[in-house]
Amino acid sequence: MEITNRDRFWMRCRPYQLWRFIVLNLKILKAVDHSKRT
Amino acid sequence: MARVVIVGAGFAGHTAALYLRAQLGKQHEITVVNRYDYFGFVPSWVWVGIGHMAPERTTIALKPVYDRKGIALVVGRVTEVHPDERYVLVSPANRGGPLRLDYDYLLIATGPKLNFAATPGLGPETGHTVSICTLDHAVAARDSYLAQVRRLEQGERLTFVVGTGHPGATCQGAALEYISNIHKDLARRHLRHRAELIYLSNEPALGDFGVGGLHARYRGRLTSSEEFITAIYNDYGIRAEVQKGVRAVDEQRIYWEDYQGHEGETAYDFAMLIPQFTGQPIAYLGADGSDVSAKLVNAAGLVKVDATYGLDYAALREQPGAWPATYQNPSYPNIFAAGIAFAPPGPISVPHITPSGLNITAAPPRTGMISGVIGRVAALNIANLINGDRLAHHERMSEMFAACVASMGDSLWDGEAATIIMYPVVPDHRRYPNGTGRDLFVTHMELGTSGAWMKRLVHETFMYKFKARPGWQIIPE
Repeated sequence: MEITNRDRFWMRCRPYQLWRFIVLNLKILKAVDHSKRT
Repeated sequence: MARVVIVGAGFAGHTAALYLRAQLGKQHEITVVNRYDYFGFVPSWVWVGIGHMAPERTTIALKPVYDRKGIALVVGRVTEVHPDERYVLVSPANRGGPLRLDYDYLLIATGPKLNFAATPGLGPETGHTVSICTLDHAVAARDSYLAQVRRLEQGERLTFVVGTGHPGATCQGAALEYISNIHKDLARRHLRHRAELIYLSNEPALGDFGVGGLHARYRGRLTSSEEFITAIYNDYGIRAEVQKGVRAVDEQRIYWEDYQGHEGETAYDFAMLIPQFTGQPIAYLGADGSDVSAKLVNAAGLVKVDATYGLDYAALREQPGAWPATYQNPSYPNIFAAGIAFAPPGPISVPHITPSGLNITAAPPRTGMISGVIGRVAALNIANLINGDRLAHHERMSEMFAACVASMGDSLWDGEAATIIMYPVVPDHRRYPNGTGRDLFVTHMELGTSGAWMKRLVHETFMYKFKARPGWQIIPE
């Protein structure tokens, strides 16, 4: 695995990263939900 | 009326104090004993350590928060615990005489003793390396780092070594974050070509993080954290040296032993190495003054809780239920431990003994989010006992999720971060028989600017939470 120029483009593409930011937050909320949190 | 004493106001202790206050009526006394009069947001000290964040932005004065919540604060160190007579002795920071605090319930959440002495020459006070483990250390690390930057500006070529300074150290994520931030900072200053960056670690492989590494879907295929972090380091031009246990440091060199038992050395100009973490040096004394520490702590001074101790690695790997659930001491049911202070039943990462007998094993991480969760669980259990209920709160590290956002540059415009979410922290190969022991739907790795935003969001929301502002309980630990 290596980080290509294509990866670098997407890593810094603001609209795409905004989408990923939303996904990351949803992932964390899902993880909180999965966790026992008793 | 019950009296609760909490030793430590870090992620575990401060979280526990806030939850306890929320659970208990004002007739119950809660006292927090902490070495400092502030809470320090440790994850942001990587930014302090390169001069990108003012130290005061990473701290919260405890007294105003506790005054508002009706929690007493004693600034000092607990020197003795008398579990039979139920009191602790505190050496106050204001140099007064020892202070006796009686308790009905005790939560030990001291955080680690930074055991620099275990590695000759390590540490900022008596050694030659810097640290970002306390705020004072992070400020000293910043000053030392900026001095190296000035040398680079004058045309010198320098070697920066960041990693673990003991064969049994933990917190590799902080080291990864620090070296990545140094890379980004030097690149921004157009000095990166004059610096060699070396990551030196006791991990069995890059991306192990003391949790045995992880696998997640990345670009549509199952990718290991080793591949993921290796790709980042290759991109950044950081040389990684893993499977190495640091044995000593002098003014110019770091001396280590590797998995095969070969001894070697790494020259450096600037080194930030994480020390071994042990329990705080507290005396545990019975009613007759005898040492009862064997009932309370292990050889490293970490507090025994409801874990199954004594299992070898293979047995522990098959028994995630051996990890503690309630964080209650089995000998003294009114004593709990949280965060780094509790004794884990063993490593998560694969242990290794070298031919010379050196144990090079990354210790399990119990910092940050994990500490906060355990602090909450312990606090809610103490509240249960005070209210006459049974212990109703259980959360093993094999049932707990953790998110790690390793920033690589703090800029919201062009910074990036590796965001790693893992569930559970301790692999459970029975629940998730997919070869990784983790839920592949939740477990996640990602690199990009979104991570930098995530890291800043975490900083701001956690500072809000730890100030106990309205709605603080909604924010996950």
